[in-house]
Amino acid sequence: MSALLAVLFLLTAASGTAVVLVRDPGRQIFAIAANGLVLTLLFTALQAPDVALSELAVGVAAVPLLFLVALMAVRAGRPEAGSGGDEA
Amino acid sequence: MSHAMDVLPYAVAAWLFAVGLYGIASSRNLIHLVGCLSVCQSATYALLLGLGYRWGSVAPIFYDHPPGTPAVDPVVQALVLTDIVVGATLTALLLVLTVQVYKRGGSLDPETLRPMRGGRTPDSAPTSGSKAAP
Repeated sequence: MSALLAVLFLLTAASGTAVVLVRDPGRQIFAIAANGLVLTLLFTALQAPDVALSELAVGVAAVPLLFLVALMAVRAGRPEAGSGGDEA
Repeated sequence: MSHAMDVLPYAVAAWLFAVGLYGIASSRNLIHLVGCLSVCQSATYALLLGLGYRWGSVAPIFYDHPPGTPAVDPVVQALVLTDIVVGATLTALLLVLTVQVYKRGGSLDPETLRPMRGGRTPDSAPTSGSKAAP
Protein backbone atom coordinates (compact mmCIF):
# COMPACT_ATOMS: atom_id res chain seq x y z
CA MET A 1 0.00 0.00 0.00
CA SER A 2 2.81 2.39 0.84
CA ALA A 3 4.66 1.58 -2.37
CA LEU A 4 1.48 2.15 -4.37
CA LEU A 5 1.02 5.53 -2.72
CA ALA A 6 4.62 6.51 -3.46
CA VAL A 7 4.23 5.53 -7.11
CA LEU A 8 0.98 7.49 -7.40
CA PHE A 9 2.50 10.58 -5.76
CA LEU A 10 5.43 10.46 -8.19
CA LEU A 11 3.03 9.99 -11.11
CA THR A 12 1.12 13.07 -9.93
CA ALA A 13 4.30 15.12 -9.94
CA ALA A 14 5.24 13.82 -13.39
CA SER A 15 1.84 14.50 -14.95
CA GLY A 16 1.71 18.00 -13.45
CA THR A 17 5.11 18.68 -14.93
CA ALA A 18 3.83 17.40 -18.27
CA VAL A 19 0.91 19.86 -18.15
CA VAL A 20 3.34 22.74 -17.69
CA LEU A 21 5.88 21.58 -20.26
CA VAL A 22 3.42 20.89 -23.09
CA ARG A 23 3.30 24.36 -24.63
CA ASP A 24 0.69 23.83 -27.34
CA PRO A 25 -2.79 24.39 -25.82
CA GLY A 26 -4.37 21.80 -28.10
CA ARG A 27 -2.04 19.11 -26.79
CA GLN A 28 -2.13 20.47 -23.26
CA ILE A 29 -5.81 19.45 -23.00
CA PHE A 30 -4.79 15.78 -23.14
CA ALA A 31 -2.15 16.38 -20.47
CA ILE A 32 -4.77 18.05 -18.25
CA ALA A 33 -7.13 15.10 -18.67
CA ALA A 34 -4.31 12.66 -17.85
CA ASN A 35 -3.44 14.74 -14.79
CA GLY A 36 -7.04 14.53 -13.63
CA LEU A 37 -7.04 10.76 -14.09
CA VAL A 38 -3.83 10.35 -12.08
CA LEU A 39 -5.27 12.59 -9.35
CA THR A 40 -8.41 10.41 -9.29
CA LEU A 41 -6.31 7.28 -8.78
CA LEU A 42 -4.30 9.04 -6.05
CA PHE A 43 -7.42 10.11 -4.18
CA THR A 44 -8.81 6.58 -4.40
CA ALA A 45 -5.59 5.22 -2.94
CA LEU A 46 -5.73 7.85 -0.18
CA GLN A 47 -9.18 6.51 0.87
CA ALA A 48 -11.08 9.59 -0.28
CA PRO A 49 -13.64 8.08 -2.67
CA ASP A 50 -16.00 11.06 -2.73
CA VAL A 51 -13.17 13.42 -3.58
CA ALA A 52 -12.05 10.97 -6.26
CA LEU A 53 -15.53 10.91 -7.73
CA SER A 54 -15.77 14.69 -7.95
CA GLU A 55 -12.24 14.90 -9.35
CA LEU A 56 -13.22 12.32 -11.96
CA ALA A 57 -16.23 14.40 -13.01
CA VAL A 58 -14.47 17.76 -12.85
CA GLY A 59 -10.86 17.04 -13.73
CA VAL A 60 -11.32 14.44 -16.45
CA ALA A 61 -14.55 15.61 -18.10
CA ALA A 62 -15.54 19.18 -17.26
CA VAL A 63 -12.25 21.09 -17.22
CA PRO A 64 -10.86 19.64 -20.51
CA LEU A 65 -14.21 20.40 -22.16
CA LEU A 66 -13.95 23.98 -20.88
CA PHE A 67 -10.46 24.28 -22.34
CA LEU A 68 -11.72 22.80 -25.62
CA VAL A 69 -14.58 25.32 -25.79
CA ALA A 70 -12.21 28.21 -25.06
CA LEU A 71 -9.78 27.00 -27.72
CA MET A 72 -12.60 26.66 -30.27
CA ALA A 73 -13.87 30.16 -29.41
CA VAL A 74 -10.39 31.60 -29.87
CA ARG A 75 -9.89 29.80 -33.17
CA ALA A 76 -13.34 30.76 -34.46
CA GLY A 77 -12.80 34.46 -33.77
CA ARG A 78 -9.37 34.64 -35.36
CA PRO A 79 -9.77 36.74 -38.54
CA GLU A 80 -11.27 39.93 -37.12
CA ALA A 81 -10.58 41.23 -33.65
CA GLY A 82 -13.21 43.69 -32.61
CA SER A 83 -16.98 43.75 -32.85
CA GLY A 84 -18.66 40.42 -33.51
CA GLY A 85 -16.10 37.81 -34.44
CA ASP A 86 -18.47 34.83 -34.50
CA GLU A 87 -18.09 34.07 -38.19
CA ALA A 88 -14.94 32.20 -39.07
CA MET B 1 11.13 3.74 3.57
CA SER B 2 8.77 5.05 6.21
CA HIS B 3 10.76 8.24 6.64
CA ALA B 4 10.75 8.87 2.89
CA MET B 5 7.03 8.17 2.83
CA ASP B 6 6.48 10.87 5.47
CA VAL B 7 8.18 13.56 3.41
CA LEU B 8 6.91 12.51 -0.02
CA PRO B 9 3.45 14.23 -0.01
CA TYR B 10 4.97 17.54 1.07
CA ALA B 11 7.75 17.21 -1.51
CA VAL B 12 5.25 16.43 -4.27
CA ALA B 13 3.05 19.36 -3.22
CA ALA B 14 6.02 21.73 -3.20
CA TRP B 15 7.19 20.44 -6.58
CA LEU B 16 3.72 20.83 -8.14
CA PHE B 17 3.38 24.38 -6.81
CA ALA B 18 6.87 25.34 -8.00
CA VAL B 19 6.46 23.86 -11.46
CA GLY B 20 3.04 25.46 -11.86
CA LEU B 21 4.47 28.82 -10.83
CA TYR B 22 7.28 28.38 -13.34
CA GLY B 23 4.71 27.64 -16.02
CA ILE B 24 2.70 30.75 -15.15
CA ALA B 25 5.79 32.95 -15.21
CA SER B 26 7.11 31.60 -18.51
CA SER B 27 3.85 31.07 -20.39
CA ARG B 28 3.32 32.68 -23.79
CA ASN B 29 -0.33 31.70 -24.18
CA LEU B 30 -3.15 32.63 -21.83
CA ILE B 31 -4.94 29.28 -22.21
CA HIS B 32 -1.71 27.50 -21.31
CA LEU B 33 -1.40 29.84 -18.33
CA VAL B 34 -4.80 28.79 -16.99
CA GLY B 35 -3.72 25.15 -17.24
CA CYS B 36 -0.56 25.92 -15.28
CA LEU B 37 -2.71 27.59 -12.62
CA SER B 38 -4.72 24.37 -12.26
CA VAL B 39 -1.44 22.49 -11.73
CA CYS B 40 -0.65 24.98 -8.96
CA GLN B 41 -3.98 24.22 -7.40
CA SER B 42 -3.53 20.46 -7.57
CA ALA B 43 -0.61 20.98 -5.18
CA THR B 44 -3.18 21.87 -2.52
CA TYR B 45 -5.05 18.62 -3.17
CA ALA B 46 -1.93 16.55 -2.65
CA LEU B 47 -0.96 18.56 0.45
CA LEU B 48 -4.37 18.35 2.16
CA LEU B 49 -4.99 14.67 1.44
CA GLY B 50 -1.43 13.76 2.35
CA LEU B 51 -1.93 15.57 5.66
CA GLY B 52 -5.09 13.61 6.40
CA TYR B 53 -3.72 10.15 5.58
CA ARG B 54 -2.40 8.50 8.75
CA TRP B 55 -1.08 5.06 9.52
CA GLY B 56 -2.03 3.33 12.75
CA SER B 57 -4.11 6.11 14.21
CA VAL B 58 -7.79 6.36 15.01
CA ALA B 59 -9.93 9.29 13.96
CA PRO B 60 -12.27 10.52 16.71
CA ILE B 61 -15.47 9.60 14.92
CA PHE B 62 -14.25 6.03 14.31
CA TYR B 63 -13.72 5.14 17.96
CA ASP B 64 -14.77 1.53 17.33
CA HIS B 65 -12.58 1.29 14.24
CA PRO B 66 -9.89 -1.36 14.79
CA PRO B 67 -6.45 0.26 15.16
CA GLY B 68 -3.70 -0.71 12.78
CA THR B 69 -5.86 -0.17 9.73
CA PRO B 70 -5.55 3.09 7.76
CA ALA B 71 -7.73 5.92 9.02
CA VAL B 72 -8.39 9.17 7.23
CA ASP B 73 -9.39 12.63 8.39
CA PRO B 74 -12.74 13.51 6.81
CA VAL B 75 -12.32 17.23 7.48
CA VAL B 76 -9.51 17.68 4.97
CA GLN B 77 -11.39 15.51 2.48
CA ALA B 78 -14.32 17.93 2.69
CA LEU B 79 -11.83 20.80 2.22
CA VAL B 80 -10.44 19.17 -0.93
CA LEU B 81 -13.97 18.61 -2.24
CA THR B 82 -14.64 22.33 -1.89
CA ASP B 83 -11.25 23.05 -3.44
CA ILE B 84 -12.02 21.05 -6.59
CA VAL B 85 -15.32 22.82 -7.18
CA VAL B 86 -13.78 26.24 -6.58
CA GLY B 87 -10.94 25.33 -8.94
CA ALA B 88 -13.31 24.37 -11.75
CA THR B 89 -15.23 27.62 -11.31
CA LEU B 90 -12.01 29.63 -11.31
CA THR B 91 -10.84 27.87 -14.48
CA ALA B 92 -14.13 28.63 -16.26
CA LEU B 93 -14.00 32.30 -15.24
CA LEU B 94 -10.38 32.70 -16.36
CA LEU B 95 -11.06 31.01 -19.71
CA VAL B 96 -13.98 33.37 -20.38
CA LEU B 97 -11.69 36.29 -19.53
CA THR B 98 -9.06 34.85 -21.90
CA VAL B 99 -11.57 34.68 -24.76
CA GLN B 100 -12.62 38.26 -24.06
CA VAL B 101 -8.99 39.40 -24.02
CA TYR B 102 -8.48 37.72 -27.38
CA LYS B 103 -11.56 39.43 -28.81
CA ARG B 104 -10.36 42.83 -27.63
CA GLY B 105 -6.66 42.55 -28.32
CA GLY B 106 -6.32 39.87 -31.00
CA SER B 107 -3.51 37.99 -29.26
CA LEU B 108 -3.11 35.39 -26.53
CA ASP B 109 0.47 36.29 -25.61
CA PRO B 110 0.60 37.90 -22.14
CA GLU B 111 3.63 39.95 -23.25
CA THR B 112 1.53 41.87 -25.77
CA LEU B 113 -1.23 42.84 -23.35
CA ARG B 114 -1.90 46.56 -23.14
CA PRO B 115 -3.42 48.38 -20.17
CA MET B 116 -7.19 48.53 -20.21
CA ARG B 117 -8.93 51.73 -21.25
CA GLY B 118 -11.94 53.16 -19.52
CA GLY B 119 -14.52 53.36 -22.29
CA ARG B 120 -15.10 52.04 -25.74
CA THR B 121 -15.61 55.46 -27.36
CA PRO B 122 -12.46 57.58 -27.71
CA ASP B 123 -13.95 60.80 -26.29
CA SER B 124 -14.85 59.17 -22.96
CA ALA B 125 -11.33 57.79 -22.39
CA PRO B 126 -9.56 61.02 -21.26
CA THR B 127 -12.32 62.00 -18.84
CA SER B 128 -12.76 58.63 -17.10
CA GLY B 129 -9.13 57.56 -17.08
CA SER B 130 -7.50 60.92 -16.40
CA LYS B 131 -5.53 59.80 -13.37
CA ALA B 132 -4.07 56.78 -15.17
CA ALA B 133 -2.76 58.81 -18.08
CA PRO B 134 0.55 60.60 -17.42
